[in-house]
Amino acid sequence: MTATALLLLLPPIAIFALASRRRLTAVMSMGLLSLILAAVYLLARAPDVAITEAAIGAALVTLIYLLAIRRSGRLSVVCSEVPQLFFREGKRFDGLEHEILAGFAHELGLDLVVSILPHSELREALGRGEAEIAAGGIIPGEQSRSVLCTTGFLPTAVFRITGEGHIPHSHSDVLDYMSDTLDAIRSRRLASCDLDLARFIPVSRLDLTGYTVQRLEGREASYSFLVASDRPDLRDRLTTHIESLKESGELERMIARYLR
Amino acid sequence: MRTSKLAQTTAALVLVACACAIIAFGFSYRGPLDRPNPYLSRATTDTGATNLVAGIYLDYRLYDSLFELLVFSVAVLGVRFYLGTTRQSPNTKAIPESQAVRASADLLFSPILLIGVYLILFGHLSPGGGFSGGAVAGTGLLLCAVALGAETVARRFHSTQLELFEWGALFVVLLLVLIPLIFGLSPFTDLLPRGAPGELLSGGTLLIYNVLIGIKVFVGTWVVISTFIRHRGEI
Amino acid sequence: MEMINGVTVAVVLFGIGLLGLIIRRDLVIKLLALGLVDSSVTLALVSLDARQDALTPIWQGAGLAYVDPLPHALVLAAIVINFALLALALVFVMLLVERYHTTDSHRIAHEIGRETEE
Repeated sequence: MTATALLLLLPPIAIFALASRRRLTAVMSMGLLSLILAAVYLLARAPDVAITEAAIGAALVTLIYLLAIRRSGRLSVVCSEVPQLFFREGKRFDGLEHEILAGFAHELGLDLVVSILPHSELREALGRGEAEIAAGGIIPGEQSRSVLCTTGFLPTAVFRITGEGHIPHSHSDVLDYMSDTLDAIRSRRLASCDLDLARFIPVSRLDLTGYTVQRLEGREASYSFLVASDRPDLRDRLTTHIESLKESGELERMIARYLR
Repeated sequence: MRTSKLAQTTAALVLVACACAIIAFGFSYRGPLDRPNPYLSRATTDTGATNLVAGIYLDYRLYDSLFELLVFSVAVLGVRFYLGTTRQSPNTKAIPESQAVRASADLLFSPILLIGVYLILFGHLSPGGGFSGGAVAGTGLLLCAVALGAETVARRFHSTQLELFEWGALFVVLLLVLIPLIFGLSPFTDLLPRGAPGELLSGGTLLIYNVLIGIKVFVGTWVVISTFIRHRGEI
Repeated sequence: MEMINGVTVAVVLFGIGLLGLIIRRDLVIKLLALGLVDSSVTLALVSLDARQDALTPIWQGAGLAYVDPLPHALVLAAIVINFALLALALVFVMLLVERYHTTDSHRIAHEIGRETEE
């Protein structure tokens, strides 16, 4: 009777584990499932199997996963690739934003770990707790509750390119990855989109016949970083770091190095 | 060719439903249930073990257990080698300093190791065995590593000597398995006297194999855990 | 409630694990689903001869009904080995993530396709 009850508990926990958004909940739910499975083995007159499953499934496997996805001792950043600001050079990262964040991580004594995500998913990832900082040519738009924003470090402008015969509009879904945007422009699939300065520079090097380019006035903004909302201390420290870079003139030198 | 998300999900569901149906059909065969395993009555007299499961995987199916040990060794070797190519993390304290973890590690480490050793040694008499006992003992060492840091534990347990134990255990198992060839018998034969069932020193070579498997699994899990603590991935 | 036995639940768990393996894009969740498939197989094997009226397979005397110990022996080693293989798979996932800086399997496939084109 108890065995049946425990067995019936297993599929809902499994569905919950595999459908969860956060990796941590998935791993802990699978650990719980192993524990209940060990109890089922005990009731099925298999004590050896029960002991082994409890020791390995609930303890060792769960801990292996936790060690793999732990974030202690590291500063986790999600970013979308943007030329000059945050891009990959072979195996390593480079760019203005990367250098700012690397210096910041070094100051805190942490490792810098970078994950690349589509531009539209950056805020969501911060809200889910997957990372602490978001970067990648972000112009803070409307303020939302789930993310905090540091001071701007680099003023920029917004350009809009429009294909022939298309109505200019701002939204475009190929903006998620820079390589996809460039491909779309080369093959003329792109109708219209808004690009900030750093993204506009490589686009302007392409052959843009058939596209009209206009610089939007009144849309001046500044690049900044986003920080998860449960870490206001991190936001303050990062802001202080950027301010000190501005004061010492180091920021000017870095901008000159990357954007001239 | 871009298929819509709905089409992909439907295709996945259909595929999985077919797989489950095939498996359920495979299990639906029910032979005559009143004919139990014919080895049940002979197991204790043949092998000398009271725990029938130990009798099976250490005497009747020793061949399988040997290759299972080999697969385990290769997997651990693979973990050590491939994760060794990533960079090392500067701090080997897996979880930040916590009083509760340290206190519970102090309290629980000895009982866990003791239970592990008991499971290994008495594996042929009561539930347990080399695999179970080795896993439990590995859990104890894991608790220590989480509480104290992998470097401390590695130094205390002399990591390199421990790995010598691991490969030594494997080679001793191979030797023991092949010794009957000298006497003209087939390998995997049990040569030692059976003894009285229920005694600690019974079962022939069962006890020796249990201990060797226990050592192997214990050190193997320790190598995996310490490698994961030392080398930081980027997930 | 005759239909609810270990084998049925094991088949259901197998289906859930397989579905999760196919549908979810995150590599770590895919590995967890694979582990679930392994666990479902061990559950099915152990519950082949699991009866409430039989005894644990420790020899207590002749003529008594014991649960069949053969699946237990197979499953015992399988659980330990699955752990080692799962650790190895996790190592490869970590190497992949270090190379491509994302855990999205679709994105990694896209990047590899782009690399082989060049």
